[in-house]
Amino acid sequence: MDDIKVDLELDLKGLLCPLPMVRVSQNISKVPVGGVIRATATDPGSLADIPSWARSTGNEIIKQEQEGSNLIYYIKRIK
Amino acid sequence: MTPQANARAELLELINSKMNRTLKYYLDTCVRCAICKDACHQYVATGDVLYLPAYRAELIRRIYKKYMTGSGRLMPKLFEGRDPEDDVLLDELYKTTYACTSCRRCMFWCPFSIDTSWVLAVAKALLLATGRGSEILTQLADSAIDKGKNIDLYTGVIREVLKGSEEEMRRVVQDPNAGFVYDKKGADVLYVALAGTHTILPAAIIFHEAGEDWTLSSFEGSNYGYFLGDTVKAKEIAQRIVDEAKNLGVKEIVMSECGHAHRVMRDFYRMWAKEELPAPMVSVLSKVDGYIKDGRITVTPGKITEPVTYHDPCQIGRNFGLFEEPRNIIRATCSDFRDMTPNRQKQWCCGGGGGLVAETEFDDVRLKSGRLKADQIKATGASILVTPCENCRLQIESLNDEYNLDIEVSAVLDLVVKALVTKST
Repeated sequence: MDDIKVDLELDLKGLLCPLPMVRVSQNISKVPVGGVIRATATDPGSLADIPSWARSTGNEIIKQEQEGSNLIYYIKRIK
Repeated sequence: MTPQANARAELLELINSKMNRTLKYYLDTCVRCAICKDACHQYVATGDVLYLPAYRAELIRRIYKKYMTGSGRLMPKLFEGRDPEDDVLLDELYKTTYACTSCRRCMFWCPFSIDTSWVLAVAKALLLATGRGSEILTQLADSAIDKGKNIDLYTGVIREVLKGSEEEMRRVVQDPNAGFVYDKKGADVLYVALAGTHTILPAAIIFHEAGEDWTLSSFEGSNYGYFLGDTVKAKEIAQRIVDEAKNLGVKEIVMSECGHAHRVMRDFYRMWAKEELPAPMVSVLSKVDGYIKDGRITVTPGKITEPVTYHDPCQIGRNFGLFEEPRNIIRATCSDFRDMTPNRQKQWCCGGGGGLVAETEFDDVRLKSGRLKADQIKATGASILVTPCENCRLQIESLNDEYNLDIEVSAVLDLVVKALVTKST
């Protein structure tokens, strides 16, 4: 899991709801199916917004971690 | 019937199901005087007929005339009659409908008070039925519903992250026992914030200082199902808060500063769900204005000395009627308040409402149409812009960059926290 190949980095720090989720949605088509976005947000609202977006759109959060105030999501494009 | 005829019949039935007396009045009465052209910020800023309020409604009117009026059935060409499955019409309808911020300034100016946003609710129903709803608004609505169904997955991790904000709260109020209150049965107040801590922390500090018996909702007040125009999804999103209020048995629902959340809960939920709210609903702005007036909290008069101006969000102002409470709070905390011109029910929309801040396909018209608000802000000479609505704040932050406003954008409650004289002081 530690050597996840990241296809696109998204810096979402400082953005407030709903923009972190909106930016992920806008960018998911920029990675190939099976590709991974690593998105770094700081808005605690993203803790529910991004995983629930992934589930309702059929994509997958393959890893989620926190470094200080940074909330980091590894989002795999499934379709 | 052919498949095309079947599809047309279904769409006409859908439109007909929305056609109550008021809506027919709107569609029959417009005399094309074009007074609304001077009221719409999008039309004034762009000159594009697509954004003329009368034209937005005209697209639905052409279907209505052709299929639902005697004269239109007899002479459809005279009324430029159109079919509901017409791709060209639907493409145009999408652009004009989802670009509209539903600010209802055009209704205020219209001599017949035609509510274009109501006509566009029919347009959204038609677009959704033809698979043309806004994709991003659909995703936002669906994720809110998913969150509601799986809330247990999120509450633990969110509350863990919010502990940092609770530390901040304890630092401000100088009370080691202060913190956010969750799941409190029988609390006087259920506070419904937005996602994220910026609408929780200031309210939590104020509730603590007021000695309020409160508990924090697990759900955000914003409702993208409403912007999408999908009343089933919008109801389901609002239902999460209603069910929570019922389960906890709270005495009052206090909505955050957010604009459209108020209208959804007060004006639309009852209509969609055919039931009353389980407890009275009030804006946190009214609540905090009351705390100051009643002496439940103390603020230092004129604590904020920089020039401050206020933007009336369309949903909480023109469409909900909350004009004076935020101004009372500003006047209680700031020494140099400068109202914009025009203001209150005549104010210009900032350009970011209706979900537009999330719909990047409309960025061009959103930023162009914000010029009017940017000009208003500049004319005040203020260095702080205060507004309750999250969409407005996001939009005005964009205008800050686009038009070099060099202004600090603030929520109303942030002023209160800055000027608060805490009990520990």
